[in-house]
Amino acid sequence: MSLSQKKKKGNQAQSKVFPWLFIAPHLVIFSIFFLIPVVFGIYISFTDWDLVSSPNFVGLANYQEIFTNQDSIFYTQLRTGLTNTFKFVIFVVPFCIMVPLLIAVALNTKPKLGKFFQSLFYMPSLFAISAVVIIWTLMFNVTYGPVNKLLGTSIPLTSTMPYAWVTLVVVTIWWTIGGNMIIYQAALNGIPQDYYEAADIDGASSLQKFFKITLPSIKGQILYTLVVTTIAQFNVYGQPLMLTGGGPSDGTRVLLMYIQQNAFGSGQSIAGIASAMAIVLGICIMIVSAIQFKFLRTKN
Amino acid sequence: MRVKKFASIVLMVGVCVSILAGCGNSSDDSKSSGSSKGGSNEIVFWNPFTGPDGSNIKAMVDEYNKTNPEFKVKNVSMKEGDMYTKIPTVVNSGKNIPDLNIIHAERIKQYKDNDMLQAYDDALTDYPEIKAENYVPESWNIGDLDGSRYSVPLDIHTSGTYYNKELVEKYTPNALDDNIITYDEIKEAGEKAQKDDVSALGVTWMKPILLSLYKQHGGELSSDGIDPTLDNSAMEDSIALWKELYDSGITTKDGEDPYQLFVAGKVMFYPEGIWMRNDVNEAQFDWGLTNAPQISDDLSKAVNWSSSHQFVMFKNENRSDEKTKGIMDFLEWVRTNSLEWAKAGQNPATLDLLNNDEYLEMPQSMFINDPAMQETLTIFDYKYNGYVSEYMDAHALDVIFGKAEVSDFAPSMQKEVADKVAKDNSNK
Repeated sequence: MSLSQKKKKGNQAQSKVFPWLFIAPHLVIFSIFFLIPVVFGIYISFTDWDLVSSPNFVGLANYQEIFTNQDSIFYTQLRTGLTNTFKFVIFVVPFCIMVPLLIAVALNTKPKLGKFFQSLFYMPSLFAISAVVIIWTLMFNVTYGPVNKLLGTSIPLTSTMPYAWVTLVVVTIWWTIGGNMIIYQAALNGIPQDYYEAADIDGASSLQKFFKITLPSIKGQILYTLVVTTIAQFNVYGQPLMLTGGGPSDGTRVLLMYIQQNAFGSGQSIAGIASAMAIVLGICIMIVSAIQFKFLRTKN
Repeated sequence: MRVKKFASIVLMVGVCVSILAGCGNSSDDSKSSGSSKGGSNEIVFWNPFTGPDGSNIKAMVDEYNKTNPEFKVKNVSMKEGDMYTKIPTVVNSGKNIPDLNIIHAERIKQYKDNDMLQAYDDALTDYPEIKAENYVPESWNIGDLDGSRYSVPLDIHTSGTYYNKELVEKYTPNALDDNIITYDEIKEAGEKAQKDDVSALGVTWMKPILLSLYKQHGGELSSDGIDPTLDNSAMEDSIALWKELYDSGITTKDGEDPYQLFVAGKVMFYPEGIWMRNDVNEAQFDWGLTNAPQISDDLSKAVNWSSSHQFVMFKNENRSDEKTKGIMDFLEWVRTNSLEWAKAGQNPATLDLLNNDEYLEMPQSMFINDPAMQETLTIFDYKYNGYVSEYMDAHALDVIFGKAEVSDFAPSMQKEVADKVAKDNSNK
């Protein structure tokens, strides 16, 4: 074998190893924190495990119970939890896309104090959910909170329908504006100014420029944020747990709250049922994400 | 170029090794969170005291360690939820099992039926003073199951009623002559106080209040220790009484913060646990502590909801006899050195403190310093108490605040608890 052939073979071997080396850290983390727990979770959903004794395989019994046994409390929990989770996603996601987009567009015009406002809008994203909810619990306090004072009402907003949903939406938007806003700002900076200058020459209005240039130019980022935000909001837990307590009358109790309580509540663990519910939630997220991809790509 | 590639490989390998190392279980990790090593001369002690009481338990442990015991105690406080989630994992895996653990009394049956607890029977033979006569009966008896002892009590904490002495004097001056406030007296006082914008009663943590009322009405959580018996008139009457009080306008309102209103002098009676004592000290008025609200003013019929923190040892085949003896030395020391725990607002379970003047001056000692009062303390030791708690915490306030029907409360609770109990395969 000639020297050049050896070198070529060596390069080929390197080119096979190198990509694996680069993705190795992610693969390790992905396997430990995602793949193994998911596979284990799927297995547990087919057992009657209580976290203590050995899991007994029960086949589809858990799924049968939560889907078909109308007399079971777990059937009710799945329906209530899933309905409230979908409601939350439907209420929150459009705002979590539109509000940061509008703010990013406004900041992109380089107004005075733009950096200050950028920091201001981004800052809540850095807070832990517990801190966020404590802040807003005080804001919504009937006796001492400023929100009720401003609105001139004594209605307990966090425990009265439909205001409980409004408070959850407001808190979530406030908390999550920053992440998407930064993505949109980066995308907007990448749009060539030539397009806008040409549009100006053609006499396009601001709205026309927004819909004909800005939105199409950042559709990739919008698709990304839409999918990521939807997945994130399906996993809602902290806000209803701490702000509304899932009430009133289970009206804001989301599926993750039932899953957590069944698996790690105050009583004996019902991890099998909890796991089955978690798998159902995961499948819902996958289906919705796939539909979003399909819909937006087809439209494109 | 080759140097750069070599450097990249080294970096990548380094990152991978670091990650894998981080996921592993080093010996230091095992020492910091738990111990399965019989040879270690350290007692790893898990407890759920992360609030202000965390500093009290730490002070006790430090004080004990200053006595130079053969086995020093390592205090590991963690959030209650995290601790109860970790326990099955570590006990099942056999690794990092704590040597000594505090759990709530209501969990003992559950853990015992799951064969997770080590009995104290053999260990107690050399410690004759750790016996029933030296502890509050309700807290001692709960650790006795099937003729074996599975726990030693640290305390018995009770939900009573804090009251504003000035407001009581103004609106119902003789109500507390017998140290019992009845619902009738509360209602009467509340009707008088309404015109001054004072609430007679704070709507607080309903679980202990309802359980206390339920027993006063003759109810029991289960007749056989397994199946719940919650759908009955005793439960409906209990929740209906509070709904009626709320509707008549003498309690705090939905959305109001009863604690803030109490310390602001706007609430006459504030039912809460003795663990709130140090917080209530914020109040700028003279306050007192008495029994939970009762139906009758007959002390022999009074029920004060209680729970208890209990020392348990989870099964661990690596725990040596010497270490078990070290644990018992610590428990014996706690029995005669619990004043620090009383400073956290709690009532230590040891009767040794009844000889301590400083303790007897603490308001919560009223529940312990009289055998008749000790009789009122009730731990609801139903194995599936956790399911009852979850339901009450989620739904009781909705009923009281008019967002759910009184008539649905008991049957729905019965169904939820029964369905969950049916899923349990442990030793029923």
